Amino acid sequence: MTSTDHPAATGASDPSGEVLTIRGLTKQFPGTLALDAVSFGVRPGEIHALLGENGAGKSTLIKCVCGAYAPTGGEILIDGRPVTMTSPADAAAAGIAVVHQHMNLVPTLSVAENLHLGERLPRRAGLLHWRKVHRRAREVLDRVALDVPTTAIVGDLRPEQHAMISIARAVSADARIVILDEPTNALLPHEVERLFEQMRALATRGHSFLHISHRLSEVFEIADRATVLRDGRHAGTFERADMTHSGIVEAIVGRGGSLAERRGTSHARTGTLMKVRDLSGQRARGISFDLAPGEIVGLAGLPGSGADETMNLLFGRNRPTGGGIEVEGRPVPLRDPADAIAAGIANVPKNRLAEAIFHADSVRANVTLPSLANYLREPVLRLIHRGREDAAAEEVTAKMRVRMAGIGASIDSLSGGNQQKVVLGRWLTTGARIFLLNSPTAAVDVGAKKEIYDLIDELAREGKGIVFASTELEEYALVCDRVFVFAAGRVVGELTGDQVTEPNIMTLAAGGALAA
Amino acid sequence: MSTTDTAKGTAVDRQGFDWITFLSRWGTLISLGLLIVLFSIGRPEVFMTLRNMLNILNQVSILGMIAFGLTICLVVGLFDLSIGAMATFGGYFAARFLAELGAESGIVVALVILAVLALSAVIGMLNGALISYLGISAIVETLAMSFVATGVILGVSGGRTVYSTDIPEAFTIIGQGKIAGIPNPILILLLLGLALWVFLEHTQTGRNMYALGGNREASRLSGISFARHALIAMAISASCAALGGLVAGANLGAGRPQGVGDVYLLNAFVAVFIGASTLKPGKFHIIGTAVGVLLIGVINNGLSVMGVATFWQYIVQGGILILALISASLNTVRRV
Repeated sequence: MTSTDHPAATGASDPSGEVLTIRGLTKQFPGTLALDAVSFGVRPGEIHALLGENGAGKSTLIKCVCGAYAPTGGEILIDGRPVTMTSPADAAAAGIAVVHQHMNLVPTLSVAENLHLGERLPRRAGLLHWRKVHRRAREVLDRVALDVPTTAIVGDLRPEQHAMISIARAVSADARIVILDEPTNALLPHEVERLFEQMRALATRGHSFLHISHRLSEVFEIADRATVLRDGRHAGTFERADMTHSGIVEAIVGRGGSLAERRGTSHARTGTLMKVRDLSGQRARGISFDLAPGEIVGLAGLPGSGADETMNLLFGRNRPTGGGIEVEGRPVPLRDPADAIAAGIANVPKNRLAEAIFHADSVRANVTLPSLANYLREPVLRLIHRGREDAAAEEVTAKMRVRMAGIGASIDSLSGGNQQKVVLGRWLTTGARIFLLNSPTAAVDVGAKKEIYDLIDELAREGKGIVFASTELEEYALVCDRVFVFAAGRVVGELTGDQVTEPNIMTLAAGGALAA
Repeated sequence: MSTTDTAKGTAVDRQGFDWITFLSRWGTLISLGLLIVLFSIGRPEVFMTLRNMLNILNQVSILGMIAFGLTICLVVGLFDLSIGAMATFGGYFAARFLAELGAESGIVVALVILAVLALSAVIGMLNGALISYLGISAIVETLAMSFVATGVILGVSGGRTVYSTDIPEAFTIIGQGKIAGIPNPILILLLLGLALWVFLEHTQTGRNMYALGGNREASRLSGISFARHALIAMAISASCAALGGLVAGANLGAGRPQGVGDVYLLNAFVAVFIGASTLKPGKFHIIGTAVGVLLIGVINNGLSVMGVATFWQYIVQGGILILALISASLNTVRRV
């Protein structure tokens, strides 16, 4: 490894050293070791990137540093002095502020009001002293060189201005260490650029940033150093001079990539099931590919890369701004999910609980909802034939190997994995030939994951076409025949066969090129 | 970090009887039973008679029709505050049209009634269209529509009531007649309740409505159109309210341009919400609404039979609604 492995462990006692030092930090949850003796440090005026895959321990680390979690081992030092933080207020007092992905701003209030959230506003004669509120807000904004009126309503401002207001709030509370939790996810490239300029200006005045991002290109642009976490462990801290794409990707995914088995034989047949031509939307442009019967195509990319957007466009969730798709030679309008369903497209959305499950309803109702038209007694009143509906629900749950008390059981009584099998199974009776699966194994235990992989394989063997996306890059190698990698709204690479590996996907997704 | 897959400790796992689930399911029915027992003991010679039972049903029949319609749009997750105005609308225009036509024959009366109900359905669909296509809040939109409807009635009527002398008997019989000793309003209520129960529980459209009310985004991803079902639900709600007002007008033998529907608006909401904490906690359904309507009828009738001052009716009714909501929320709070 090209990194200096444990700089913090040696540099902590150095008085000229780090403003924040994390030493041997450990967090044990029941059943999982989320952080395993992580050590690194942040220097004054430094922009320090924190990298790692989902579940690598980044969020846990931040929660420990901002007082939301109590670590089970190790210590956190500010200016070389150990601090104990049991609440976010303690962290604020120690000079640590966190700017979350969702910014914690109230969109309907003015900039000045947002900058004073949670504080007692200045008063005069018992009434609010608005002139003073705005004057103080102006001072705060000037400190971060943000040129917006203090009376502006936050919801009317641009996303990068939201980020800057959050940072301004942090800086106004005399935060010396600002933790940015993926602040650029919602931002467009030129917005990111403006945010970075202002971060650099603040860093030269001594504020330190711990910047969490999935986007490697940004890390190269802004970070003075980068620390990588993998499986809860410290996988390396890179000095600016030592930062290389390949080195960081290797640290993120581990040497040789995942241990996961490469998927066996492909079931892809000849012919074209779905043709995607020049499909474009808000965050994806010019997407074209063909899907063969029995083929499993992956759409991979970091958050905001366009892979998710393409899944949504294909199902008619977001309206395409250009291009279109054909299913078995027939053009399909994509105005609404109903159009996609009518064309034989099925969908497992990313967020099972919010987008797929009908809570407090039975397994039966959850299975048969999109195919109820098949079990009607007659087409006018649309009376449901209960016997036929039950038979279909029994058949699907048996095929999907759903473990439950019966089809009458509440969907909420099932485990996440079994709920997901219900969500997947509900499309088996609609006659769907194309399955769009977005993170079908999210929040599912290991055993159920294997079962879901097998079910996907079974669908492919039956000749269904599958488009797959996941937040866990190692899954693509397990599941897909072919993977398109997205970055900045475009397809930047196509991987087939043995090329489908986690490091290859990460390299392309982060804006790098594969070694020939 | 930790997965949500860990087994949930449900109440069934624990030892002993699950009182919270029991009460949240059966609480309203038990209080209905207790009230009936209480009033029967209090005034056995008056309360617990067939005549008084039919009387109670007759008294709540109009409320019931309106509440059944309201149940449908609450299933989809939409509040309809125009039901009071629509009840007045139905009662007034049925009487007015009949008076204008000077109709006597049953067929004309039937056609006029159908026309009034269809007109109400169109207004309901307009509500549904504004709510779904423009994304306006249902509460505000239906409130506005109720003002428009009230204004139209007042404008058309000039504030004058259509009196019984101008209304054919074939119409008043709907509210005043009996079949086999049972007042017609009760029979209409039972038929309407049965039809809407079948609609909600046994048709695809009803099932889709429950899906939309439960999770609108998941419904959209299952190909279910919110706009289409919002239109249907609001049309049913408006027609049911108009039907209630129409029966009230027939019962009264007059078409009043104001003060008909207003009394039913809040009671209908009380009944439907009591119903949503009956048998299936957290779910709006016809049988639950029927229980809520009966509860209101029994409280009002029983307390007046007992000679209790009117203000107690409000207090008891409000108190039971609060208890019903508490028992329903206990169940959901625990589940989360």
